[in-house]
Amino acid sequence: MPRTASAPAAPTIAISGEGDRLTLEGVLDIHTLQEAQKVLKQALKEHRTRSVNLGKLSDLDTPGALFLCGLRDKGVEFTGVRAAHQTLLEFVCGLELKPLRKPKPVPRWRQLVIHLGKGADAAWHDTVDVITFIGRAASALSLGLRHPRSLRLPSISRHIGETGINALPIIGLMAVMISIVIGYQGVAQLRPYGGEDFTINLVAVSMLREMGVLITAIMIAGRSGSAFTAEIGAMKARDEIDALNVMGMDPMELLVVPRVIGLIVTLPLLTFFSDVMGLLGGALISEALLDVSPLQYVERVRQAVSGSDLFVGLFKAPIFGFLIAVIGCMHGLRVGGSADSVGRETTRAVVKAIFVVIILDALFSIFFEKLGL
Amino acid sequence: MSAKTQPDPKPILSARDIVNRFGKQEVHDKISLDVLRGEVLGIAGGSGSGKSVLLRTLTGLHRPTSGRVLVGGKPIDTIGPSEKASLMGLLFQQGALFSSLSVAQNVMLPMREHTDLPPEEQERLAALKLELAGLSADTGVKFPAQLSGGMVKRAALARALALDPRILFLDEPTSDLDPLTAGGIDALIAQLNRSLGITVVIVTHDLTTLFTVCSRLAVLVDKKITVGTLDKLMRSDQPWIHEFLHGPRAQGAQTARKHSHGNG
Repeated sequence: MPRTASAPAAPTIAISGEGDRLTLEGVLDIHTLQEAQKVLKQALKEHRTRSVNLGKLSDLDTPGALFLCGLRDKGVEFTGVRAAHQTLLEFVCGLELKPLRKPKPVPRWRQLVIHLGKGADAAWHDTVDVITFIGRAASALSLGLRHPRSLRLPSISRHIGETGINALPIIGLMAVMISIVIGYQGVAQLRPYGGEDFTINLVAVSMLREMGVLITAIMIAGRSGSAFTAEIGAMKARDEIDALNVMGMDPMELLVVPRVIGLIVTLPLLTFFSDVMGLLGGALISEALLDVSPLQYVERVRQAVSGSDLFVGLFKAPIFGFLIAVIGCMHGLRVGGSADSVGRETTRAVVKAIFVVIILDALFSIFFEKLGL
Repeated sequence: MSAKTQPDPKPILSARDIVNRFGKQEVHDKISLDVLRGEVLGIAGGSGSGKSVLLRTLTGLHRPTSGRVLVGGKPIDTIGPSEKASLMGLLFQQGALFSSLSVAQNVMLPMREHTDLPPEEQERLAALKLELAGLSADTGVKFPAQLSGGMVKRAALARALALDPRILFLDEPTSDLDPLTAGGIDALIAQLNRSLGITVVIVTHDLTTLFTVCSRLAVLVDKKITVGTLDKLMRSDQPWIHEFLHGPRAQGAQTARKHSHGNG
């Protein structure tokens, strides 16, 4: 065989000989190739070498053989070639090698235009997709509600458990922390005007109207929306969705509707929980910074907030829940064949869900303001 | 060398007393196996008989529960990454081509990592490897997702050959391929073995590959391994091996073998 298994750590090549006769000794492989090329090219220039002895070459690989083929084409003869090396040389020299094709470089300005166009096209298709899917999900949902028997109760309850009950600790902690942040800022900003007592109003109203539902929705988009995409996406990547279709089951009804109902139920409940925890955080901060006792705090909150504040917050929750679930499921069903598309779609789902939630929250703020609620 | 020529009887890789256990389940019970220099060794066995685990053990990807693997006389876990890369190449069943790199970049990656050749030279060599694997140079600019099943195998083979390894491990090289494409891969393996003198270890249950390309066979049955030439194993009275080599599917492969030897 041409080569030995126990190669020395650093293979070497030596070139000896005078004038137009050279001898290669050692190993001519990918690691010694450059050295051999340098020396041999030099020798060819100076002496117009016509013959190289390969008898002492212990090792030859395909890059080495390719190089030798190049020399042979220039009229160099090889002598004393071992049988195994001869086979390799014949084989490699017999190949018709074409240079690698390189993709044509696209000019910068055109790249920019192409990028912009593609982005706009993708955004347009995305919008159409989201609207279409919201429609399909809504129709599947209403069908399910009209025929409650087709609803998969075990599946719905599992999703309520996973997206709701398991999220309680993190949602509670977030709500307390956010109300502490708002409380601190309120006290700091209102104190110069002697209005630090209004911090309680600030915390209570902003938690109930906006912050409670917003942080819950963002948390659930990151936690459950992404999980929906990953679950359904993994099924899609393994052809399980197609399997459902072939067996006459509707993935919309089986996978999407239970998740959507699950989030429509859990998000208001979680929002209420987060409101309560936020008010609790407000009580802590009032006690610590304003010396307002918990009893006084409850009294102050009662004066500050009205039923409509609570209603405004809770009203938005199921809508956000619906959208988060729909966007999560939609991106799950969009997963293509490759494994990395699950990750890509999950990222997109979370970004899009949070984006939609915040945009919608801003629109709701204006809407309720005009309504005078 | 193909089945027709005598391989060098010195082992290039030897596994001694390999035991592999996962929890309570024992997969290999004191398996010993020699891979001879220049041969094409086929490793066969039923589904779940531990072929893939054995391959992972031989390539050092999996550390056996006990036992040793020696490559060129050295324990495999003492061989440095760079030396190992030029010692063995592995063709994964699904190709394992990096999807973010073009085919040519995939082939050049080991060269870039382990040699200091200039980029033009690397490109020339990548073209050579693609040609060796039976792909045109035009394929180099494509990305793995754009390739058909057979082309993925060939591109992955080109990458496995990037550093001219002494031993080439092939994990199910013909799986998921139509018979014609699979036949092309078989011919390619034989060709590479003959021309480059590369030692090949094939894990497969493709009988045609085993019958036409391999010079020796290792069959995994009941946690043990039986090694020998095809003719010797054909006479084995171990029930699984007998059924495997004489079953209805084996008949067709036998014909293919005679055919390829006739054209010899």
